[in-house]
Amino acid sequence: MLLTAEQKCLLWLSHAEVTPGHLQKLLEIFHTAEEIRQQFGKAGGPQFAPAVRKQLSETRSAAAIDDLAEKLEHCNVNLLFLGDEAYPASLANILDPPYLLYYAGRLSCMQLPAVALVGTRTPSHYGIEFTQNLAHDLAKAGVCVVSGLARGIDAAAHQAVLDAGGHTIGVLGSGINVPYPPEHRSMLRKIAGGIGLVLSEYPLNAAPLAYHFPHRNRIISGLCAATVFIEGKIQSGGMHTVHSALSQGRDVFAVPGRVGTAGSEGPHAILREGARIITSAQDLLDDLGLTPPGQPERNASKQVKLSPVQKKIVAQLRIQELTPQELAQACELPVNDVITELGTLEIVGVVTREVGNRFHLPLAARE
Amino acid sequence: MLARTYACALNGVSGVPVEVETFVSPQGMVAFDIVGLPSAAVKESRDRVRAALTVSGYPFPLGHVTVNLAPADIKKEGTAFDLAIAVSLIAAKRTDLFGSLADTMLLGELSLQGKLMPVRGALSMAITAAEHGIKSIILPRQNAMECECIDSIHIYPAETLQQVCNHLSGSEPLAEHPHATFEQLQAAVPIANDLKYVKGQDVARKALEVAAAGGHNMLMVGIPGSGKTMLARCLPGILPPLTYEEALETTLIHSASGELGANQRLMTQRPFRSPHHSVSLPAMIGGGSRAKPGEVSLAHNGVLFLDELPEFQRQTLEALRQPLEDGFVSITRINEQHRYQSHCMLVAGMNPCPCGNLGSKQKQCTCSANEIKRYLGRISGPLLDRIDIQVEMDAVSIEDIESPQESEDSRTVRERVLSARRLQQERYAALGIFCNAQLDQAGMEQFCQMTPDAKKLLHQAVERFHISMRGYGRIRKVARTIADLAQHRLIEQNDIAQAIQFRNVEGRYWR
Repeated sequence: MLLTAEQKCLLWLSHAEVTPGHLQKLLEIFHTAEEIRQQFGKAGGPQFAPAVRKQLSETRSAAAIDDLAEKLEHCNVNLLFLGDEAYPASLANILDPPYLLYYAGRLSCMQLPAVALVGTRTPSHYGIEFTQNLAHDLAKAGVCVVSGLARGIDAAAHQAVLDAGGHTIGVLGSGINVPYPPEHRSMLRKIAGGIGLVLSEYPLNAAPLAYHFPHRNRIISGLCAATVFIEGKIQSGGMHTVHSALSQGRDVFAVPGRVGTAGSEGPHAILREGARIITSAQDLLDDLGLTPPGQPERNASKQVKLSPVQKKIVAQLRIQELTPQELAQACELPVNDVITELGTLEIVGVVTREVGNRFHLPLAARE
Repeated sequence: MLARTYACALNGVSGVPVEVETFVSPQGMVAFDIVGLPSAAVKESRDRVRAALTVSGYPFPLGHVTVNLAPADIKKEGTAFDLAIAVSLIAAKRTDLFGSLADTMLLGELSLQGKLMPVRGALSMAITAAEHGIKSIILPRQNAMECECIDSIHIYPAETLQQVCNHLSGSEPLAEHPHATFEQLQAAVPIANDLKYVKGQDVARKALEVAAAGGHNMLMVGIPGSGKTMLARCLPGILPPLTYEEALETTLIHSASGELGANQRLMTQRPFRSPHHSVSLPAMIGGGSRAKPGEVSLAHNGVLFLDELPEFQRQTLEALRQPLEDGFVSITRINEQHRYQSHCMLVAGMNPCPCGNLGSKQKQCTCSANEIKRYLGRISGPLLDRIDIQVEMDAVSIEDIESPQESEDSRTVRERVLSARRLQQERYAALGIFCNAQLDQAGMEQFCQMTPDAKKLLHQAVERFHISMRGYGRIRKVARTIADLAQHRLIEQNDIAQAIQFRNVEGRYWR
């Protein structure tokens, strides 16, 4: 890795997790990062918190910084500095852009129009399904889907894009070597090893500390023209991303949910405040000026011919989700028959089953 | 000075006839020794016998008394030798008192007052006696009923040592206990837990019927209070009635482990065992210093119900895999090996998550993703793989509970189960298995033939739900049972569709 002296000093500062805001203030006094390193530890030199100062003094020598760079190279992690040609303009425009990003994967993802999908780590079946459909359609339309590699909505979004063969960016709140949650390591590898990109503002082995994640959210919204909030409470990470998107002047979309469930609180709150409603990828694509691809192949269920009994069942499920027993009562059929028909319908994909043995129609089959 | 009587020792669940030889030497020190590997309980027999003899009016012989329990190299456990020792002591002193003792087995614990107390394993001992050509057996009254089906031996129940001596001397013979045929016993028993009292839960009822018809293990996932235990308790009632051989096997295990109460007959109901989730590994599988049968053997020919499956120790659950697969447990000690049968159906119940509300319409689950994962992770994949039928319970509504409409009763369901089982027995007569759950890969290829439509549907299902090879086999076996219930020769499309509904819940919970 060929780094200029200035870049090496930025790496040194980033390694100790000096925040962009702090660096900005220091630069007003010392003008360059090199100067900061020169003056470090001297009277009248830059001031740091004790932990940061300790870290900085440990890696201050030129050899130690070279060592850091070498380790990064060894892990196939590259650096992107603020001001580099490849640094996305949309991110550079925000109030406190990261002065250094660690990344693995393809930088070309950042050239694509990008949309952030954010939401809760404990989504409903509906949330997951909507996320999958949206991410799939966006990926097929050539949009890069940005999310946070967390559990729930984030994971569903990344996975759907991977399945669709599209581009996706995962922004971590920890070092690239310490993915959080740990079970997403393989997903991270798939993204970075394929045609996606994994980014982090934090050094290679930074722990996933709680305060990292709100900071990380500004990068997610900052990379994107629009942020879609799928499910989440009013006090949630998704809501935080929405606020940072708004403060960055980006578009915010919200998915309407069922009134009364906890996951719908957040989207409904921002809808009341004037966020735009999104019910399909089309709503977004129109806005971004992109043309959608041909009809997705997911609607295979439409070709299935239904028997009169099956039609009856589907008609009930169109109203609400039901258990086999409730269906039997509603359709006035023996439970035995209902189980049989549901089995067939489930296999051909007309209905899906979720926790609690409740059946419902997948979103694509509802129209 | 020398006398010999017959008793019986227990080795696992089978009996070993024991000769009790008593030698009274007028010379030498006054002593009373029991030799032949007696355990502590047998050694204590000295004190009980001494008191019982004196109280019953027989003076204890003076001199050096040696009692030998032959064969002398088998460990003797329990208290069943008391009576044989006491009678042999009397006979050694007064050689003219009794007639022949060679064709009588004497069983019973003695109290200090000379009363006979019930013993463990009387049934095995009676069977052993009959096998060894012994003509009659004298045992405590409380044990007579469990032996009444053994018709090749005369059974004389007695209450005191005095009665036994009068019988043997011919002065006052005991009344013989009448034999009963198995059919007589069977007719007497009503079904204990009837399905007609289970309200709602039609899907789970159907699953239970399929499980019973094919001998499949079953897992019920549902919120607390949805009726998992109640439903499981109904299972013995819809299984085919025990055959004589099965009843004998099961009663033997219960008798030998002391689980059979006083005045119990041969078991005609399939056992239902529901050990608490704190059960230890030896208690579940069998073991301990005496290598007793465990819960899985006590459930032999019946139902082993494990409620709150994830709360069981993982080790205990893992150890269940082999007995469930093989139908027996081998317990090996350094100088003995016991083999207990354990053909039972496993029925398990569990909550969907630690708080129990996951998937509930009314209540919100408060568990974190990690908590749920850890909770479900306590059940291993290999164990789940052995559970063919997995269902989720419905939340029972107040309308269901209050509905005056009675559900179908166990008798009707059992008729269907029986006819399905009959089909299977005919089909598998040559294979030495008796239900669909026991089919292996080769058997499945041969007997689980599908119509082309059914095959197509199953292939579609495999693709859509990413079903593994093992899951594929399970669905086929369950579909075979559903087809048997519907009297279909080939597995039809509808059978597959239903089997799909009873497939693993893993996809929804263990993700």
